[in-house]
Amino acid sequence: MMNTFLDTLNERKGELVTAVFEHLTLSIMALLIAIVIAVPLAIWLVNHKRAAEVGLQITSVLQTIPSLALLGLLIPFVGIGTPPALIALVIYALLPIFQNTYIGLSEIDPSIEEAAVAFGMSRMRRLIKVELPIALPVIISGIRTALVLIIGTATLAALIGAGGLGSFILLGIDRNAPALTLIGAIGSALLAIIFSTLIRYLQHLKPRYTIITLAALIFVIGGISFSQSGIFAPNTIRIAGKLGSEPDILINMYKEMIEQEDPDLQVELEPNFGKTSFLFSALDNDQVDIYPEFTGTVLESLVDVPEDVDSQSLDSDQTYQEAVTLLNDQFDMTLLKPMAYQNTYALAVKKEFAEENDLTTISDLKKIESQVKAGFTLEFIDRTDGYAGIQDKYGLDFPSVQSMEPALRYQAINNGDINLLDAYSTDSELQQYGLVILEDDQELFPPYQGAPLMKTAFADEHPEVVTALEKLAGQITEEQMSEMNYQVNVEGKQPAEVAKAFLLDQGLLKEGE
Amino acid sequence: MTPIIEFKQVSKAFDDKIVIDHLDLTIQKGEIFVLVGPSGSGKTTTLKMINALSEPTDGDIYFKEKRIKDYNIQKMRWQMGYVLQQIALFPTMDVKQNIEVIPEMLGWSKKDRSEAVDRLLKQVQLDPEQYRHRLPKALSGGEQQRIGILRALAANPEVILMDEPFSALDPISRNALQELVLDLHKELGTTIIFVTHNMKEAIKLGTRIAVMNKGKIVQCDTPEVIIAQPKTAFVKTFFEETGEDEAKLVKVADLVAMGYYRKEIDERLEKINGNTILSDTYALFAQHAALTIVENGQAVGTLNHQDVFAFLSRETQVNEA
Repeated sequence: MMNTFLDTLNERKGELVTAVFEHLTLSIMALLIAIVIAVPLAIWLVNHKRAAEVGLQITSVLQTIPSLALLGLLIPFVGIGTPPALIALVIYALLPIFQNTYIGLSEIDPSIEEAAVAFGMSRMRRLIKVELPIALPVIISGIRTALVLIIGTATLAALIGAGGLGSFILLGIDRNAPALTLIGAIGSALLAIIFSTLIRYLQHLKPRYTIITLAALIFVIGGISFSQSGIFAPNTIRIAGKLGSEPDILINMYKEMIEQEDPDLQVELEPNFGKTSFLFSALDNDQVDIYPEFTGTVLESLVDVPEDVDSQSLDSDQTYQEAVTLLNDQFDMTLLKPMAYQNTYALAVKKEFAEENDLTTISDLKKIESQVKAGFTLEFIDRTDGYAGIQDKYGLDFPSVQSMEPALRYQAINNGDINLLDAYSTDSELQQYGLVILEDDQELFPPYQGAPLMKTAFADEHPEVVTALEKLAGQITEEQMSEMNYQVNVEGKQPAEVAKAFLLDQGLLKEGE
Repeated sequence: MTPIIEFKQVSKAFDDKIVIDHLDLTIQKGEIFVLVGPSGSGKTTTLKMINALSEPTDGDIYFKEKRIKDYNIQKMRWQMGYVLQQIALFPTMDVKQNIEVIPEMLGWSKKDRSEAVDRLLKQVQLDPEQYRHRLPKALSGGEQQRIGILRALAANPEVILMDEPFSALDPISRNALQELVLDLHKELGTTIIFVTHNMKEAIKLGTRIAVMNKGKIVQCDTPEVIIAQPKTAFVKTFFEETGEDEAKLVKVADLVAMGYYRKEIDERLEKINGNTILSDTYALFAQHAALTIVENGQAVGTLNHQDVFAFLSRETQVNEA
C-alpha cells in the first residue's frame, strides 16, 4: 500500500504541482473576495444591530446549502469551470469572516470606545487606530476558519472542471485507486494546515509585514497560475475528456494524431473534466476546443430531436447522421466521423447469478423481478433509454434501485450489496469482476459511437486537426477498447502510454515523430 | 477670576426620567472643581455634557463663553483631556502611542511628540526608557492610570475632565495619584473637573466642591465651608458616611507592601491572612502582641502593634498635609 502510494506520487508529481497551484489560486482568490465583502459589511452593520442579525441569518443559511447543490445551481448562470467554484467558495467563506468581524468589533469594551470618542477621533480614525486592531485576533481566527473550510470544499471544484486536488480524489474513486484519492485528500489537508499556521504566524507580525507577505504570496501564486493559464500560448488546443479511462485514452490518441500532423500545435489535455453537461457547456463557452462524445448521447441529452424523428428506432449510421445535422443546426458544432466500437449501455450480472437463475437476456429478469437489487448510475436511472426505457419496453419494475457513482457499483455487486448493474459495453470491470452482459433482446439501447466533437468555427480554422482526427474514424473495435481500459484500470498503465502503443501498433503513428 | 465652563438652566432626561434638573453652574479657570454625590445623583452626566458625550435636553453649556453646540465637537475635544474610571487605555497601543493620541491628531512633529512623551513620563516618575514601549496590560493599575492622566494632559488642554478616575484602584495607588493630581495642578494650573463619590477625596482635592443629589446641586462651596457649615442634613450625612477611616479600606498585605512589618518569622504566633482588612485585626491585637502574616499559604513576616500604629500615624500626616 505504502509503495503504491509512493509510486503514484512519483508518477504524478507534475500533475500534483499543477493541481496544488490550481487549488491554491482558487482558495486564495475566494478568501480575498470573501474578506473584501464580509469585513466592510460587518463594519458597516456593527452599529445596526437588527440589520446585522439579518446578515448573520443570511450568511448562516448560505452556509447550509450543500456544496454540490450550490455548484449545480450556479451552472446555468455562470457555466462551469472556475467562476461557479469561486462563487461557491466565497459564499461559504462569508459566514466565519462576517461573524468574527462583527463579534470582534461589537465586543470591544464600551469604555474604550468612549475614550476614543472623548479624545476627538473621527469615525474612520477610531476604526483604523482603535477598533480594528483590537478586533484583529478575532477577525484573523475567522479568516483561518474560512480558509480551512475553503481548502476542503475546493476539492469539489474538480466536479465542475475547475481542477485542483479534487481531480485526484475523483480520479481515485473512478479508477478504484485509493492511492490517488489519498494524495488528493492528504494534499488538501496539508495545504489547510500550512496556510492556517501561516496566517497565525502573520497575525503576530507588524501589520506592515503582514500586508507585504500577503501581497508577495498573491503575486507569486497569481503569477504562476497566470503563466500556466496558457494565455501566452495562443496556439494551444485544449482537449477535454469525461471522467474515466476510456475518454482519457481517446484524448491522448487525439493529441498524438494532431501533433504528428502539425508539430507546431500545442495540445493541452484536460482529462477527467467532468460529466457530459459540464463538458458540453465548456465546449459551447470556448473553454475547451474538442472532446470525444457519443452519437447516442448527442441525440439523447444534448440536442432537441424533432418530434417526427424516433431516435430509438435509428441504426448506427442514421443516428450519426441525425446527430451531425442537429448539432450543426442547433449549436454550430461539428461531430467528426465515429470510431468503430459501440459503447452502449448494458445490464450486467455476476456469472454465477446468471447461471443459477438461467439469465441470458434482459427479458429473463422478469422471472426473478422481486429478487433484483439494482445499482444504477443517476444518469441511467434518468434516461428514457435507461431505466425508464426498461420499465417501459420490458415491463420490469425492480423493488430496489440505488443510485451510485459508476466506479462504486462494481464494488457493490462484488460485495453482494446489489445483484444487477448498468455498464458500458467496453468497461474493463466486466472482465475484472466476472460479470456477464444480458442481451438487449428488445433493442432498447441506442447505438453509441464515439467521435470528436468541436465547434464548426474551430473545425474551419484548423483543417489540419480535422484531417488528423479523421484518421481514427472506423478504428478501434470493442475488444480493443475494452483491452485498453483493462490496461489502464486494472494493470495501472498510463493512458498516454496505452494510447501511443495502440497507435504505433496500428500503424497510425510513425515511430520517432 | 474668569469662568471657563458655564451651565445655564441645563436639564437632561433619559426617556422620561429627569437626571439633571435646571442646573446652573460656573467653573472658574484654573480651579479643581469637584462634583461629588451618591450614584445616580447626575454628577457623571454633568461631566459628560461638558465634552458632549451627552447632550442636554434643555439649556446651554458654554466653554470659554461660546456654546458647546456651536463648536466643531471633534476639535473642541482636543482641548479637553478625559480620564475614565475604567482607565480605558487603548490596549493595542504602547504607552507612547497612547500618550500621543491627541498630539498626533493635532499634527505635532514626530520629534515634538517623542520629547513630550519623555518629559511627561519623567513628570510622573516613570522611566521613559523602561516604559515607553510597554503595552497597557504590562502595567499595574496605578501605572495605567498615570498613563491615563498623561494621555489627557499631553496636548496641554485647557480643561481636564476626570470621571471617578481612582475609584477602581487600591488605596495606596489612589493616594499616590491624588498627590500627583495636586502636584500637576500646582505646576500647570490646568482647570480640572473631577467627579467622585468619595467625600474625603473631594475634600482633599477640591478648590471648590459641588455636592449633587437627584440631579441638583445641593451645596457648592470651598471644602472648609462644606465641612464647617453643611447646608443640609444630606450634605452632613453624606460626608460622615463616605469620609471613612482608611483602616476599613487597607489590607494587611498593603502594610507589607509599604514596609510596615518585620521580616522575622515566628511560627508559634497566631496567623493572619494578608487579605484581612486592617480594622478587622484590632480584635486580634487586643489578645496578641504580634501575628504571623500569611500570603498565598506562606508566612511572609510578623505584624505587631507598633507597625499598625506607625502606619496609621503616617496616614494622619498625609491627611493633614
